[in-house]
Amino acid sequence: MAKGFMRRFPPLKILTDEQVEAIHRGTLDVLQQTGVLVYNERALNVFKKAGCDVNFETKRVKFPPGLVEECLRKCPSSFRVKARNPKDDLLIGQDNVLFFNFPGTDTVDLDTWEPRSPTKKEHIDLIRVLDALPNVHFLNAYPYFGFSGGVPEVMKEIEGVALRIRNSSKVTIAIANNDIDMFTIRMAKAVGSEIFANPNTSSPLTCYTDQVNACFLAAEYDLPSMIWDGATSGGTAPASLAGAVVLSNAELMPYIVLLQLLKPGARIAVANLVLPQNMTNGAPAFGEIGVSLHNVAFNQVWREYGVPTVSSSCGPTSSKRIDFQLGYQKTMPTLLSALSGSSILQLYSSIYGEITAHPVQAILDDDIAGMIGRFLEGLEVSDESLAIDLINEVGPIPGHYLGKKHTRKWWKKEQFVPRAADRLTYPEWAKTGKKSCIDYARERMEEILSTHKVDPPLTQSQEEEIEKILKEAREYYRKKGMITDAEWESYKKIIEK
Amino acid sequence: MDTEIIEGLKKAIKEYDTEKAANLAKRAVEEKLDPLKVLNAMTVAIREVGDAFGRGDLWLPDLVGAADALQAAMPIIEEEIKRTGAKRESLGTVVAGTVFGDIHSIGKTMVCTLLTAEGFKVHDLGVNIKAEQFVEAIDKYNADILAMSALMTMTAPEQKKVIERLKKEGLRDKVKIMVGGGAITEDFAREIGADGYDPTAPGAVKLARKLIGK
Amino acid sequence: MLKGFTRNFKPLEILSEGELEAIHRGTLSVLRKTGVRFESKKALKLFEKNGCQVDYTDNRVRFPEGLVEECLRKCPSSFRVKARNPKNDMIWGGNTVYFQALSGTRSVDLDTWEPKTPTRKEYYDAITCLDALENVHIIPWYTPWFGFKNIPSVMAMPEGLAARLRNSSKFTCSNYSMGCEVFNIQMAKAVGAELRSSMAASPPLTFYEDAVENAFRTVEAGFILLITSGSVYGGTSPATIAGSLISGNAEIMAGIVLAQLIKPGTRIIVQDFSFPQNMRSGSPGFGAIEISLHQVAFNQIWRRYKIPIDGGVSYPGSKKIDYQAGYEKAIIALIGALSGTNTIWIQGAMYGELAFHPVLAIIDDDMVGMIGRFLRGILVNDETMALDLIDEVGPIPGYYLNKEHTRKWWKLEQFIPRVADRLTYPEWLKGGKKDCLSLAKERYQKILSTHKVDPPLTQSQEEEIERILKEARKYYRKKGLISNAEWEAYMEDLKSPDYPYA
Repeated sequence: MAKGFMRRFPPLKILTDEQVEAIHRGTLDVLQQTGVLVYNERALNVFKKAGCDVNFETKRVKFPPGLVEECLRKCPSSFRVKARNPKDDLLIGQDNVLFFNFPGTDTVDLDTWEPRSPTKKEHIDLIRVLDALPNVHFLNAYPYFGFSGGVPEVMKEIEGVALRIRNSSKVTIAIANNDIDMFTIRMAKAVGSEIFANPNTSSPLTCYTDQVNACFLAAEYDLPSMIWDGATSGGTAPASLAGAVVLSNAELMPYIVLLQLLKPGARIAVANLVLPQNMTNGAPAFGEIGVSLHNVAFNQVWREYGVPTVSSSCGPTSSKRIDFQLGYQKTMPTLLSALSGSSILQLYSSIYGEITAHPVQAILDDDIAGMIGRFLEGLEVSDESLAIDLINEVGPIPGHYLGKKHTRKWWKKEQFVPRAADRLTYPEWAKTGKKSCIDYARERMEEILSTHKVDPPLTQSQEEEIEKILKEAREYYRKKGMITDAEWESYKKIIEK
Repeated sequence: MDTEIIEGLKKAIKEYDTEKAANLAKRAVEEKLDPLKVLNAMTVAIREVGDAFGRGDLWLPDLVGAADALQAAMPIIEEEIKRTGAKRESLGTVVAGTVFGDIHSIGKTMVCTLLTAEGFKVHDLGVNIKAEQFVEAIDKYNADILAMSALMTMTAPEQKKVIERLKKEGLRDKVKIMVGGGAITEDFAREIGADGYDPTAPGAVKLARKLIGK
Repeated sequence: MLKGFTRNFKPLEILSEGELEAIHRGTLSVLRKTGVRFESKKALKLFEKNGCQVDYTDNRVRFPEGLVEECLRKCPSSFRVKARNPKNDMIWGGNTVYFQALSGTRSVDLDTWEPKTPTRKEYYDAITCLDALENVHIIPWYTPWFGFKNIPSVMAMPEGLAARLRNSSKFTCSNYSMGCEVFNIQMAKAVGAELRSSMAASPPLTFYEDAVENAFRTVEAGFILLITSGSVYGGTSPATIAGSLISGNAEIMAGIVLAQLIKPGTRIIVQDFSFPQNMRSGSPGFGAIEISLHQVAFNQIWRRYKIPIDGGVSYPGSKKIDYQAGYEKAIIALIGALSGTNTIWIQGAMYGELAFHPVLAIIDDDMVGMIGRFLRGILVNDETMALDLIDEVGPIPGYYLNKEHTRKWWKLEQFIPRVADRLTYPEWLKGGKKDCLSLAKERYQKILSTHKVDPPLTQSQEEEIERILKEARKYYRKKGLISNAEWEAYMEDLKSPDYPYA
């Protein structure tokens, strides 16, 4: 089983119990008083039957507090997710902390720092690097939003899931846009893996039909769900952080209610990508401290509910380069989320916002994950680690600890040694070409790409099954008119290759 | 029996067992083993540890642990060499230490260990060593090389004092001087009239060979 | 008074009560059984007089538990420290958090990243920059650099203090070497400021005479004493963090006993300045995660003793202002702040203690602003929960950007960094692809051309400082600690237009 890191001390809290209670009451009030728009007939019927106040004309659903609380209680506080290879199975919840990646539209040129579309090879390279890194516990959708060269828009992520399944044995996520999860969920099933269903909210207070359908698929296939909320505080959510927490929580609840109504005990994690609004240019304010304040408050409230949380805003920053700013903008939300009880941290590979990602960045992030993981494990306090007899034996100067057996045994347990960090002295550094962490990460990337093999590769029959589902999907979207004639022509050439 | 002691001694060094190394050295003397053969075995063992450190397989606590075990056995064997009048082959004799006012031992210990592994005869004077102590040791051991370390900016000038003292005593030309430590730079080494400087422990070994032309 | 930051929630803790107690008991047992070596006759006598067991053959002092605990209780849990300008006074202790610049031995070239010795002008300019940065609350000893070109090393500290007093009115500190604390104390008194000075152990379990002598002088001057261990775990203390805490705290407690015996009620701040040993190079493991584990445990222990805490020493291991330096500094400073460190070191330090650059101090200042904003936490009340507003806006197509509530609250909630790249891609491409480093360089030039120290020294204060410096120069010259060559370069430097004070 993929191990993750165990947090061995109580989580960081920034709210009092009364404040947590106030946010909970506020959330229930919004659900009952304001309600949520649900663009999905099937779901409206389910809600109606469960006692919600449903207006079929306006699509507005208002939830009785008792129903919401009952459904929250049905969520398991921890659960397993099965991977293709049992070594990659996941344990979510129970103070176990996992990491995965944050995708980007583009790759980035490491010299000019300008974004560009990745090739198919680069797309696969990123998947392979993520598969090889020990602290990437599962893979997000994409990891690039697409690759250049003729794959129609609607097929990009379906082809993407096939690439991930072929090049990685880790669990992945089935996004719901355009109902493509109808196909991708079957692909995962074909190789004996579970996949996360992924219903997304739309802020403020709106659920679109394909996202709601994801809940029905999750119930049908008995899959775990990761529900995503991405409100922007000051834009699609109140500018005050407490208000943003209330709103984003209210947006997540309809999916929780629906999932628990369809399948009581359904496995759910709630993901939080709430960002402040950059008030200069209207973009989300990636990497700023409001991200962390929201994450920590969010974690505290959801721990009360016993639902595992995912901190999705750890990955994206506002820097365009792999530089000092990127370092602190990724580290702060990741560390604060990990300390405050997130079960899953979405950290790896992203650079600027949702725009750029790079395998070199994923390798650098692996060191941050390792450091934070080491921190979460805390200190061992025992007679042996307290070492009082040793201190007495060594005594004052000229006593020294380096040659002691105790040191040889313990330093490796206590110290985390980063893989891609510059740890040299000035003279060593000057002598070896003044390398920085990016240079080391590039070297490691080359090494991974030339040696890493997916374990295990797909069997012949799994391969055939994947190809069969791809074919079905192509025909389905072609028929639906979502692949134009021109697109189909160039797409066919790729398929035939 | 002989091989048992010799192999045991090598193992003790490689397993960082100070007590066992000293005991086996004593037994080697009792059993009248050829002290040069014993010394050679010890050098082989420490070289293996040094090489593994160089490859990145072993770490500093391992290197220092092995050095401690070596140091525990060395005086016993050296005494025996002296007693039997055997002629010890070595690349050269090194006197090493950290200068007065400075108590940092790590860099110096690394260099001493690797020099021993290379085949030098090393006299490690320790830390906080005064100029007159260095001079005395150079004279006493008829050293080919003096290796000095200083980690702190405040204590670096102490190296200059030692060199000046050597000049005064007329010993400067008898010995090659190499300096190192966190506070030392190439320029500084030249300025104070040292013969060589290297920032790393493996580099210091190469430097030592170069200085004595071997 | 300088407000600094206030931590509005409980500090991060990683040890259980039982574990804390085990470390506490372990520390007292080391003090009683193993003892601490003091290379100072004066200290040994004072300890003996107060009931310690003193062994004059190896200068070892063994401490009765009652005395240690009594002296811990004598330390005030929080106190005011006075800067040259009262607006820069601070209160250390409790849940206040202040940040201080972190020095290096040398400057660095921002293109080649190689270290270089700063000039006097660079030294004075960097202080101006630190004086201008809003989140630099303390400009401590050795800051910005340990010295500068043409200064004999023995004069580096008095010259540095004079520069800080001249170009800044923030709280500053000074340390000891070759007795220079005598001059430092005089200078601070001449301008009406207090100093923080240190008593540093030489681990394991040893204090040398210069540290002890400085403790006597600092305490007798009525200034604040910082007591620190500085152990490297795996080298000068056990490789385990728990063992290292015991060994280091035993050293610090021995220092506290001395200070409180010299003058009861002395203001003390304890420092966590410990690093793991880098087991490849043998140098301290700058930027390592264990530093943060050590700090959190250290804070938890010393909060129990109710003594203000200094630490969060954010040295990166990287040689460049790059990604690695960013994450290393962020982790150390952030965990330091969350876990209750009262004064944290960060602005300006580059690789280890070996380099500093004012441009990095400017970038760090943004990070500090972020941490400070986090410490304030979240306000939860009817207005911030905004239930009525949420109801009014409703689902899509409702939005919040045009609301009065947003106009009021976004500024209260958001911290806006000064030199971070916050642009979109098109803006960034059009604006010349500037990164935080180039934005910080621009801010540095702006600070130098506009910032003025408030207030500057008066004419008579200035004369007094120069008089004390002259005395120090003469003293060390006579003592033979400044060579002829050094003296000539030094005198030449004092004639330069960059030194209008002579």
